[in-house]
Amino acid sequence: MQKDQRLLDLAALLLKAAEPVSWREIQEQFPDDYGARGEAAIRKFERDKADLLELGIPVRYVAGDEDLPAGYLIDRDEFYLPDLRLAPEDLALLYVAGSAALANGSFPYARDLAHALNKLSFAARAPGASEAAALAAKRLSAGDDDGDAAPDLAGRLEELSRAIAHKKRVHLVYRGAERREKTERDLDPYGLFQNDGAWYVSGFCHLRADIRTFHVSRIESLAVNPAAPRTADFTPRKDFSLAELATREPWEYREHAPVRCRVRLEPPVPAEVVASFGPRASVREDGGAALVEVDATNREGLLRHVLALGDRAEILAPRALRDQAREVLAGLARRIA
Amino acid sequence: MTPARPRKPRATGPARRARTEASARSAPATSAAQARPGAARSDPRERLRRVLFLVPYAVRHPGIPVKDLARRCGCTEKELLEDLDFLLEVGSPPFAPDDFLDLYVEGDRVFVALHQSFSRPPRFTESEAAALAAAVRALGGEGRDRAVKALRDSVPKDRRASFDELVGRIYAGAPPARESVLGRLQRAIAERRAVRLAYHSASRDADTERVVRPYTLAQRFGHWYLYGHDSTRAKALAFRLDRIRECAVTDERFEPPTEAELARMRLFSEAQGEPIRLRLGARAAAWALARPGIRLVARDDGGGAVIELAGTSDEYGTRFALSLGGDAEVIAPASARRHFEEAVRRALARYA
Repeated sequence: MQKDQRLLDLAALLLKAAEPVSWREIQEQFPDDYGARGEAAIRKFERDKADLLELGIPVRYVAGDEDLPAGYLIDRDEFYLPDLRLAPEDLALLYVAGSAALANGSFPYARDLAHALNKLSFAARAPGASEAAALAAKRLSAGDDDGDAAPDLAGRLEELSRAIAHKKRVHLVYRGAERREKTERDLDPYGLFQNDGAWYVSGFCHLRADIRTFHVSRIESLAVNPAAPRTADFTPRKDFSLAELATREPWEYREHAPVRCRVRLEPPVPAEVVASFGPRASVREDGGAALVEVDATNREGLLRHVLALGDRAEILAPRALRDQAREVLAGLARRIA
Repeated sequence: MTPARPRKPRATGPARRARTEASARSAPATSAAQARPGAARSDPRERLRRVLFLVPYAVRHPGIPVKDLARRCGCTEKELLEDLDFLLEVGSPPFAPDDFLDLYVEGDRVFVALHQSFSRPPRFTESEAAALAAAVRALGGEGRDRAVKALRDSVPKDRRASFDELVGRIYAGAPPARESVLGRLQRAIAERRAVRLAYHSASRDADTERVVRPYTLAQRFGHWYLYGHDSTRAKALAFRLDRIRECAVTDERFEPPTEAELARMRLFSEAQGEPIRLRLGARAAAWALARPGIRLVARDDGGGAVIELAGTSDEYGTRFALSLGGDAEVIAPASARRHFEEAVRRALARYA
């Protein structure tokens, strides 16, 4: 029998049963699938059980007592998506957040997200449900590879999402940014984060024997370890913090010892420009202008950030970085002259 | 050996109708058995997930047109009819006629005669719930923690530990706007009320006032947008959240867009105007080409490149070029080039 049909038949049987269904009975009902004697049939059944759980369908084994025979069942309360018991505004938050993520074009577990929104829109009507459902349907009808932002990105994110969930090692060919050569390495992927519209994967890099972060768009090819798909290849290191990595500003990448840097922002200073220096910057008002101080461990990152602000921002200190800014701008001025 | 279980004893009744219509629609030689492998998407479990939604949805909406159900499930009509054929084979012991699922099509509409307890969708898988939780945490807002907890409770008990772990493994960004603006927008979306915005227009470098019917929020290329209907311009537009200076919820209520409108909706219109062209050195090219929203025009032998940014302002082109640390310049169109040159001169003057 086809596997998908077998799984649904099994679910239908266990859902309908009034009491636990014994292993013997299951074997009798599925003679071609589990009928064989011995371990192989049990292992096949266990794999199916795991597949059902991955679809959100928990099959439970009940040890027998005087009243009930031992066997398997699907508890209806554990099967059906429950009422989330959320106030309409909280439900609306779920819909809006889900829609926003799908509109992104690339998001980890994007298909799962679309399925979740579909189920949710069914279980709980709230404003935003139909918008979310429309986006979900669009996402599901698209292949993994036609995310509209970048052709491979959506597919890569799906693969990495799955590898992270199952703790599977991946082998990747990566195009570095500064040194343009390609490198190959094994990575234990710990987590995915988004920063400024781009996705990054962090994990333990076997080439560098340390935690490293990779720009997902620069991964040229990716292969998930195909062996033992249900067995974890690694345990993430305890000292790993995704939030810490994800919220780093570019000048906080660890390239050198911390250097105190000072930047002047010319009035009027829009709130989003101040905010762009992140939560760890200290900001002081200075006659309408703003003086921003940060501890940089990657001066280059700060330089680029300030340059992008044009004549609204100026590096005051350290001296060397100020000189570097002037040199870059002078170089550009010569090119355009 | 146990006798083979009786499969599909029925040749009459509603099931028959469905099958006839299904085969009439698909390619002449397509039987259910042949169609099955071809219908599977990249992941074979996709079909199961789809039908576990499809059946309860059809139960809830008796007589839903085939076209609408297919659109709702994100599949083609042909795939949907193949799914229906597939479902007719699903049942449970003792496999009497009433032990099978029974969905049928009549006059292009789908009906469910027997749902075999598949009357509501199953619980969230941990990755479904975790993806949604990551989206909620990136958006922020006052109800965030309650929403994440409700998602956790909707995962099967055995999988909640995995959910907790997975939630810590996706970080989709920091909340998009000041709590006050975001909170008001969320409320307005939830209550279907129009908002009055003080909006900073980048193209005019000035604040404008807009009355917008907010439909949803969207995240794109690192920015958050409000998508809604602008009453002055009489069309749906996207507004960048970090350019909304003020946001007031009005008393004006509105009807949500219809499903047909939503199916057509494009959150982001096709880029208009001439794209902005930049020349990049090798270092900048390697970095920039990994960014979203960038089109490669040409590559030179030294590793440098000419790229285009579509649908953006001269100001953004300049910002983007300068953020590449001296290894990039705006080359076209003329207005964007002038903007860049001016910006370089003015910025250099600061360091004189």
